[in-house]
Order: sequence, then structure tokens, then C-alpha cells
Amino acid sequence: MPATTTIPEMKRIADKKDGGGKGNLPPVRGNGGGGEEGKNQPKRRPSPNRYYTGVAVGIVSVLMFFMALASAFLVRKGSTDWVPVRIPALLWLNTVVLLASSVTLEVARKRLANGDSRGFRNFWLVTTVLGVAFLVGQVAAWRILAGEGVYLSSNPASSFFYVFTGAHAVHLVGGVAALIYVALRNFEVAKVTRTVAADVTSYFWHFLDALWLFLLALLYLGK
Amino acid sequence: MVTYDEGDIAPISAGRRFLARVFSGNHKTIGLQYLWLSLASVLVGMVLSALLRAHTSWPDTAIPFLASFESTPERYAAMRLLHGSLMVFFVLTAAPQLGFGNFLLPLQIGAEDVAFPELNRFSFWLTAASLIGMTASFFQPLNRGINVWLASAAVFSFAALLSALNFTVTTIESRTKGMTLPRMPVTVWAWFINAILSLLIFSVLLAGCTAVLSDRLLGSNFFSAAAFLAQQPQNLVRQGSLPVLWQRLFWYFAQAEVYVAMLPCFGIITHLIATFARKPVWKERLVVLAFCGVGLSGFCVWGYHMFATGMNPYAPLVFAVLASSLGIPAAVLLASWLNTLWNGESEFSTSLLFAIGFISLFIAGGLSGLFLARHDLARAAVSEDFVVGHFHLVMGVAATFAILAALFFWFPKVFGCRMNEALGKTHFWMTFAGVYCIFMPMHWLGLLTQSNLLPDAQRVAVASAGASIRTLVTLATIWTVAAQSIFVVNFFLSLLRAHRAEENNPWRSSTLEWSIACPAPEVGFGAEAPVVYRGAYELTDASPKEFAQQHLSPESLALAQKTR
Repeated sequence: MPATTTIPEMKRIADKKDGGGKGNLPPVRGNGGGGEEGKNQPKRRPSPNRYYTGVAVGIVSVLMFFMALASAFLVRKGSTDWVPVRIPALLWLNTVVLLASSVTLEVARKRLANGDSRGFRNFWLVTTVLGVAFLVGQVAAWRILAGEGVYLSSNPASSFFYVFTGAHAVHLVGGVAALIYVALRNFEVAKVTRTVAADVTSYFWHFLDALWLFLLALLYLGK
Repeated sequence: MVTYDEGDIAPISAGRRFLARVFSGNHKTIGLQYLWLSLASVLVGMVLSALLRAHTSWPDTAIPFLASFESTPERYAAMRLLHGSLMVFFVLTAAPQLGFGNFLLPLQIGAEDVAFPELNRFSFWLTAASLIGMTASFFQPLNRGINVWLASAAVFSFAALLSALNFTVTTIESRTKGMTLPRMPVTVWAWFINAILSLLIFSVLLAGCTAVLSDRLLGSNFFSAAAFLAQQPQNLVRQGSLPVLWQRLFWYFAQAEVYVAMLPCFGIITHLIATFARKPVWKERLVVLAFCGVGLSGFCVWGYHMFATGMNPYAPLVFAVLASSLGIPAAVLLASWLNTLWNGESEFSTSLLFAIGFISLFIAGGLSGLFLARHDLARAAVSEDFVVGHFHLVMGVAATFAILAALFFWFPKVFGCRMNEALGKTHFWMTFAGVYCIFMPMHWLGLLTQSNLLPDAQRVAVASAGASIRTLVTLATIWTVAAQSIFVVNFFLSLLRAHRAEENNPWRSSTLEWSIACPAPEVGFGAEAPVVYRGAYELTDASPKEFAQQHLSPESLALAQKTR
């Protein structure tokens, strides 16, 4: 086929071919008069629902990743070389910070829904700062443990502690990146509206929040 | 290759156009790229299998390619690993789901593209990087090679997760007007369910790879070899901790991976058989439920392996029940295929031959699976040769037949013309005979392993029989690999003729991808979304052997029948 075939031409070719009496049925589309309008029409725009579904499906997948490690944790716990990790007190403070960030995020979304763009920006910024503060707190907790001589390679319990908190932190870095994206993006030219982007980011953020509570409970109760 | 311009695009240099095409985000280009990746992998993997067989039969003969490596058992094991990873990841996982799925799923549901085209492009290039990594790992010293392999497996899992997310969201959100869930072709159902299964199991493989890599590189203690060996009976402890790590990784993903490879094949076979028999799929909803059943119990069998470290004395029983319960959806699928074929208007094209070959291999391989699913019988039957014969027949070769059936069927949609039927049929019969001569005798070899219970005189006789069976298997392997050259010739000859565009709907199929030109234009359906009026397998009222195309409104369908 020549490199210069246009859509209307292709439609005409399709029409000619299908009408050729080979038992094929002519298509209903593309036979309405000339087809000049095919060239400059805007592309079909997929619905923003895909972002909501996408984040839900992604959450299932992330959850499965942590469930695999959690079941490995439960299986490995019974072995003889298991030395429980004493959880640093700093983690409780970090947890409060993370929970607070979820609250401010919801306030920000409410402001956005009410059309209060300035309030949205402020609370969104607070959320981002709290998220970064949580990450800094997690690093500080690792340093406390390392100061006590508990490293990744010390024993199975410490390996699980570092990998659980580390993998959660990696996902949270993604969450912070999403927060910053929503804050800085010019939504005049973006594919999504600010509301959709804020909603999707908040779902992921709340999920990470709940996941952290689960992981903390697992590490605390399962030691 | 065919290129399409929209006419009003300003002229750009050939180099940039080439780059834009190679790094395209279009689902058809990406699907095709996956298929090229698979073709390269399957050819290399097949040659490797012939080399492995040749070495087993004639261990003293130097093999040219291998002479440059140290001839250690580890090198042989690494070669088996390369064969397995190429075939499992880049052929069985990539071709039916990522290759055909990417190309056809958006077309079959009337979507413009997948839900997240940029993500799709990203996951393809991750997959390509993983292929390079896995191949490179073979040429590394053993210890480093394993790290490279694990990292590549992690990259592949991540890419597979992104693709699975894309497929799931596309199927849920991007269906065109009128394409309700019950109207989706069974292929779309299979890709959709498989995407959900992949989403669940590849995160587990990713977690496993992360843990093993962290053990090997950072010294963490997830799968501590010392702790594991300390719990084993002393007479079973062997030198080196490598096998433990490999076993862990294997059980993490391998069992469910079988169903990830098979589910899209089930969908493709169901679709092809209905199209060629010119009958609706027998009990279509039950078939879709069976897909769900395969996905669900495939996933649960994985769950067993996770805890299968001798913790629970009832675990073998649970496994036996779960593995045997796979027989129910398998029986439903078989009944549907045979009933659809029964009294069908079958035109025996190469595509249908491969589909029927798939059914045959699926039955033959599935029967030996019954032995392996029962833990008490498995103890008598299980041996390397028996297991190798079983899973190659039911997973490897059967899935390859489904891929070939799909390739012959959708070749006009992808490239614009049919493949040569005479060459195709010769290729089919040679391959069909070849694979049975390879994998059936392997089952016998496996059973012969039990001959140490026999008295001495019989044991000698059995051993000599075993040697000749081994040679037969090797010769059959070489024959089958040689037969694939017919396919390669057919494939590339057909590509050369590809500019001669044929009719748009050569198989008189009803689904949406055949409502547009062949080969499928870059723009897909164009600006105007198709509208779907009926299910995928509904026959017209006027002629009961003719499918009513999904996109024709009742009026234009009636008009079309009148004019014919």
C-alpha cells in the first residue's frame, strides 16, 4: 500500500473490497458521502474513568506485592535464627504525621470541590510537607536501628523490617511525586482535570496510609 | 513494512520517522514488536533445545557453539535455564497475551488504543531490556549470571504488571458503544481474566526477586541457606546453597505462570474454532466461567506452593484437590470445543489444523497431569523425564500451536495477506508428528526410572530400551526443529507478498477488527467509533452459516443480505 494513503481513501478501498460479493457484508460506517470530514476531526478522547480504574487496579497489584512479603514473613517467623526487632519509638510519631497528611489531603480536596483554589493549594502543600516529613522520619528510624547495630543483614527479622519499611517508602516517594505533579502541573493544557488528578492521587495516598498501618501492626504484633 | 501518513503532517526526515515508528506508542506497533521479540526468542530457544538433546544423547561429541565455554554441569544447567526463560517469558507469556493481546484487544472492543499508551510503550521496552539481560546472563560467570538473571526477571515482572494494568483498565473503560460485557469476544475475556491473574502473580514474582536479590547482593536473610539446610534431613543435604534459591524462585511463580500462558490460548482456540465451524461458541457463558475457574484455581495452586515448606501435613491433600479441580474447567472447555466443531461447516485451513492440534496436545498432556496432581500417584510417576514430557506437551507445545493458529488467522489483519496454506499444512503435519515423537516417549522414560524395583535381568533389558528411546527423542527433536524452517520460509515469503492487499474479512468473522481495512491502518477505526449491535458469535437470520458482523446495525444487515 502506498505511503500516502489517507483515511478517506482507505475507507473507500474498504467499501470497494467489502462490496465485492465474496460473502462479505458491507460496513455501515464510512459510506456516508465522500468522507472529507474524516481528516480533520479531533481524536476520540477516552473517558477520565480510566484513571480511577487504573489506580484501583494498581493498588490491588501493590497490595499483592506486600501480601507476598507478609506471608513470607509469617512463614519465616517460626525459624530458629529469628531475633525480634525492637521498633523505634520514632515510628509512632511518623505514623501520626502520615495520618495527619491524609486528613489535610481530604481538607484540600474539599476546598477544591468548593472552588477555593487558594485553600486547596495551601492544604495540598501541607500534605506534601507532611509526606516528606514522614519519609525523613523513616530514614531517621533506620539510622536509630543502625546505631543499635541492627542492619539489613543482621537476621531475618531485621531483613523484613528494612524491606517492608523500604518498599513502603519507595511507594510513598511515588505518592509525593504525584502530589508535587498535581501542585505544579498547568491543568489548562493537561489531559486530565485537576479534580481527577487530585482524586486519583488521594486514593493512592490513603491506600499507602492504610498499608502503613497494616505493616506497622504486622511488625509490632508479629515480632 | 507498510507505513501510513495522515496526509496533512508536515514532511519529516526518514530517520525521525523511523524512530517515531520504532518507539511508537500505538498498540498495533507494540503488539507487533512483542511478536517479533517472540519469534526471535522461539527460534533461539528451539536451537538450544536441540543442542541440549544432542548433548544428552552423544555426550562425547563436541558441539561447536559450546566448545568455547567451560564444559561443566553448571554450564549445561545455565543453557537449560536460557532455553526455559526464553520460552516461558518471551514466547509463552509474551506472544499470546502481550503480542496478540496488544494488537487485537483494543480493535476487538472498538477502542482507539489501550487506556495508557505511554505506559504500554514503557513496558514493551522494559521487556526488551529484560530479554537482553536474560540472554546476557548466560554469557556471564555463574555467580554474576544469576544476579543478572534475577534482575532481568524482576524487570520482566514489573513490565508484565504494567501491561496487565493496561489490559484490565482498557477492557473495563475503553469498550465502544454497545460493547457490553456479554458481547465481548471470548478472546477479550481470556486476555482480561489473564491480565487480572498476571496482576496478582507477577507482583509476587517481583517480591520474590526483590527478596532473593537482596539476599544475594545485600546479605539479608530471607532465604537463608544455612537455616534451610539445618531443617533438612542430613542425608538430603548437598553441597552449595544454589538449588534452594532456585527452588524458591521456581515455586514462587512457576505454577500460576502455566495458566498465564494457557488462558489467552484457550480464548484464541475457542474463538478460532467457532469462526471456522461457523457456529456460535457452545455454552459461551459457561466457557467464560471456565476461564475464571482456570484463573482462580491457577492462583490458588500458587498459594499452596508459597506455604509448601513442609509446614502443614494436609498441604499435599489440599494441593491434590486444587490441582484436580482444574479438571472441571478443562472439561468444560473441551466439551465446548468439541461441541462447536461437531457438525460444523469446517474449512480445514492451517489455522484450524493448529487449533485442533492444540486440543489434541491439551488432552494428551492433560492426562499425564492427572498422575502428577495426585500426590500418591505422583510419587510413582514423578521423575524428571515424565514431568518434562508432561509440561512441554500441555504448556509449551500446546501454547505454541495456539500461537501459530492465531498467527495464521490474524496474519492478514497484521500484514495484509494470508500465509501460504500448502506450506502451512506441511509444516503443521511435520511438527505435529514430531512433537508427539519427542514428548510421548519422554513419559515412558520417566516410568522406566522405576525399573530399579525389577529383577536384574529385566533391568538390563529396560536400560537398553531406555537408551534407544533417548536416541529416538533426540532424532525427533532435530526433525521438528528442522521442520520449523518451512515455517520461517513461509513467514518471510508471505511478508514479501504482503503489499498485495487481500479482501478485508478473509475468514468471514464477525468481530470488530475485521470491519476495518487489512492490514489494520495506524489510525484504527479513525475518528468515528464503531457501534456494536450484537454478540460476537451470532448468526444471521437469512443464512444460518454466516456470522452477523457486530458493527452492522439491523437495518444495514438486512440491506446487506438483500443485496447479496
